[in-house]
Amino acid sequence: MIGPRAPSRRALVVAVLAAATLALPPVLPPEWQSLYVFIGLYAIVTCGLSLLMGFAGQVSLGQAAFYAIGAYAAAIPAVHGAPPALGLLTGPVVAAAIAAAIGVPLLRLRGHYLAFGTLAFQLIVLTFIAEAGDLTGGDIGLRGIPPLGLGSLQAVTPVQYAYVTWLAVTAVFLVTRNVVRSRPGRALRALATSESAAAAAGVPVAAYKVEVFALSAGYAGLAGAIYAFFLSYIAPGSFPILLSIQFLVMAAVGGLGAVWGSLVGAAVVTLVVQLLQEIGSLPAMPTQVPAVLSYAVYALVLIVVMLLLPSGIVPALTARAARRRRDDVAPTEATAGDDARASRLSSVL
Amino acid sequence: MTLFLQYLAAGIASGSTFALVATGFVVIYRVTGVINFAQGVFAVLGGFLAYSLLHAGVAHGLAEGVAVLITAAIGLVVGLVALGRRGTPPLASLIVTLGLAIFSYAVVITVWGDLPISYDGLSGLLAIGGVSMQRQYVLIVGAAVVTFLALALFFGRTYLGMALTACSSDQRAARLMGIDVWRMGLLAFAVGGALGGLAGVLLTPLQPVQFDSDVGIAVNGFAAAIFGGLVRPVTAFAGGLVLGVAEAMVAGYYRSSYETAIALAVMLALMLWQASRRGPTEE
Amino acid sequence: MPEGSEPLLEVHDLVVRYGAATALDGVDLAVGRAEMVALVGPNGAGKTTLLDTVSGLVAPAAGRIELRGRLAQVPEGRRLFPEMTVEDNLRLGAWRVRDRRVGPVYELFPHLVELRRRKAGSLSCGEQQMVAVGRALMGQPDLLAVDELSLGLAPQIVDTLAEHLQDLNRRSGMAILLVEQNARLALDICSRAYVIEAGRIALSGPSEQLRSSPEVQAAYLGGAYEE
Repeated sequence: MIGPRAPSRRALVVAVLAAATLALPPVLPPEWQSLYVFIGLYAIVTCGLSLLMGFAGQVSLGQAAFYAIGAYAAAIPAVHGAPPALGLLTGPVVAAAIAAAIGVPLLRLRGHYLAFGTLAFQLIVLTFIAEAGDLTGGDIGLRGIPPLGLGSLQAVTPVQYAYVTWLAVTAVFLVTRNVVRSRPGRALRALATSESAAAAAGVPVAAYKVEVFALSAGYAGLAGAIYAFFLSYIAPGSFPILLSIQFLVMAAVGGLGAVWGSLVGAAVVTLVVQLLQEIGSLPAMPTQVPAVLSYAVYALVLIVVMLLLPSGIVPALTARAARRRRDDVAPTEATAGDDARASRLSSVL
Repeated sequence: MTLFLQYLAAGIASGSTFALVATGFVVIYRVTGVINFAQGVFAVLGGFLAYSLLHAGVAHGLAEGVAVLITAAIGLVVGLVALGRRGTPPLASLIVTLGLAIFSYAVVITVWGDLPISYDGLSGLLAIGGVSMQRQYVLIVGAAVVTFLALALFFGRTYLGMALTACSSDQRAARLMGIDVWRMGLLAFAVGGALGGLAGVLLTPLQPVQFDSDVGIAVNGFAAAIFGGLVRPVTAFAGGLVLGVAEAMVAGYYRSSYETAIALAVMLALMLWQASRRGPTEE
Repeated sequence: MPEGSEPLLEVHDLVVRYGAATALDGVDLAVGRAEMVALVGPNGAGKTTLLDTVSGLVAPAAGRIELRGRLAQVPEGRRLFPEMTVEDNLRLGAWRVRDRRVGPVYELFPHLVELRRRKAGSLSCGEQQMVAVGRALMGQPDLLAVDELSLGLAPQIVDTLAEHLQDLNRRSGMAILLVEQNARLALDICSRAYVIEAGRIALSGPSEQLRSSPEVQAAYLGGAYEE
């Protein structure tokens, strides 16, 4: 169970998870290795989105825009001869800077308006990328992105990228945990509940919202940067609106505001999609079956999960664990809080 | 000047279909609180159904009408799933509608394949005041205006329509009258389905549809609907027209690849301007 | 309650919970045919919850409700549909019944005739309360539950409305359940009353008796009741 039982037990769980994360890449079959990379990348993006939605109460339907910005901001200098490792810096920094700049006016919008604003922003970014051909390669895309590396140290194989990615996942989770536990983090939680109450309590609401927006964009930018090096080719078509929606789905399936929820959501959704593609492409299947099957089953999983566990998988599990514990120990403040937050947040949109 | 008027006519025509989709968003949101992301699907299915009926030899007019009725029924089914158990939160419902949209891809590919389809609408040109425009444009605008007026009459004058309005105005009071808010939500979904289907059957002759055309249609419709805060049908309708005209002008005078981005930027700028005038926009 | 007649509404041992909080904790209550009963108590005691449960808006956790007739509620704060006209508001009150003629309501409140085309949201509070009562009457109830009739209204208007209710009760034999924070008013016009506190019925009996009870006087009537 994911809920904390006791600190020592929790530490043990984290240690086992970490060991498994490290041990897994070399033993996975090749086609699962890149899947492993993608789960990590999506978990990074989803973690930012979950922070934005769960803790700051803001919705983004355009998170893939920052994923794209990060990818291009990392790939363009590298293509022009800059050391590729620099991209791990330029990707998140440029994405966060753009988010901070547009966040100031954009975050004046709330709820559905903000959802629309972020969606529109992504379409505008995609159009810009497609039209700025000299810089971005336009619709055709940017080819020949060099592998990630510094000097002679280069990441080429999926296993190496898996380590890079999961290192990034760890860093992102640690940052997120510290943000959540910091004083501003507690203020943010107040923000998600009631913005006016938080403002009345002296929380600089507007500034915090922009900061979280920038942080979540930075996460997406970092994941985008790794993605660009991993695939060595990016195009506007790699970042459709459906990808933003997929991030939203991962956040909701895992559970908003739960850090682990982003990992669970990313893993569940990515694995389901992959599994369906595998089944669909078995030799005996007619040609249209893969698409039909993957759309249908993905949709059904989505519908069933959201109808049965409207607050997401992780909050539902923690709530169940807390209920089971209630007889001997009172639920910890953290789980009770998560639970309440998850149910509140289901009304973000 | 003639060129300008031609772009204007084209913009008003496509804007009218956005307005229909937007009105569907508004009707469903007002009664149920759900943003139905499957709204574009109704248009796609409307187009495909009309296509099949026309190919089966059903006459123009009848084929489109039947297609719209079927999309209304599909709207009902979408509502049934999306509203789920009573008390399902709106974010969960929203994601369920996304799921249903994706599910529709499987259905469309199975039944019709993954290639775009189209059929002929009203052919020929009509000259009004020296400006010649496609008859189909006139049909679209006429159908949209008539539909909108009919809806206004339905919601304002008929007993059932008033009950729907009551649900969107004050659910608690409506329930005290004995109005079943959940059933009214299903009805709203059916109306939304019909509106989307109508947009689809009108739009398909102008631009071919394929299984995933719903995203573009839904984005335009949502943009128009959000213009009226998702609750004001008249503003949503106007938003659809503004969006359609803006896109047609950008495509005509600048580059068509920029049409959606610039139109959305205009909508966004208007929205930010509104927000700065009356404080943060609250729904 | 008059002996021998079968009560119109019977509530037995009703329990209602909102999550972990218990809003009603074993409530018993009855309203006879043609009776006027008051339910008084402080804010948050569970008055509106009780009405909502009887109206079917809230599901009880335990207990039994027997309603032998139609019930209509005039909700707290009136809750008219503000963008609709007075007449459309009235007509929607008849959702459960066939007959949508608004004439009888206009006979009761002739003042509403000239307001019939006005938007309900543009009326004064007193006028809105008339529409709210009229809207409930359109449902042809055997029992009319009125939640906070007097809230936010001028005393004269409250008196007029109270007279109308008593009139309805006398002439057509409609039972009335009056939920009020204004205990003085409630005890004046109803023959019997319940006092609800923290989700339980604390006291009940004929109004006369409650009026002279020291607890009621201290808590609800602001000291000695003057006849």
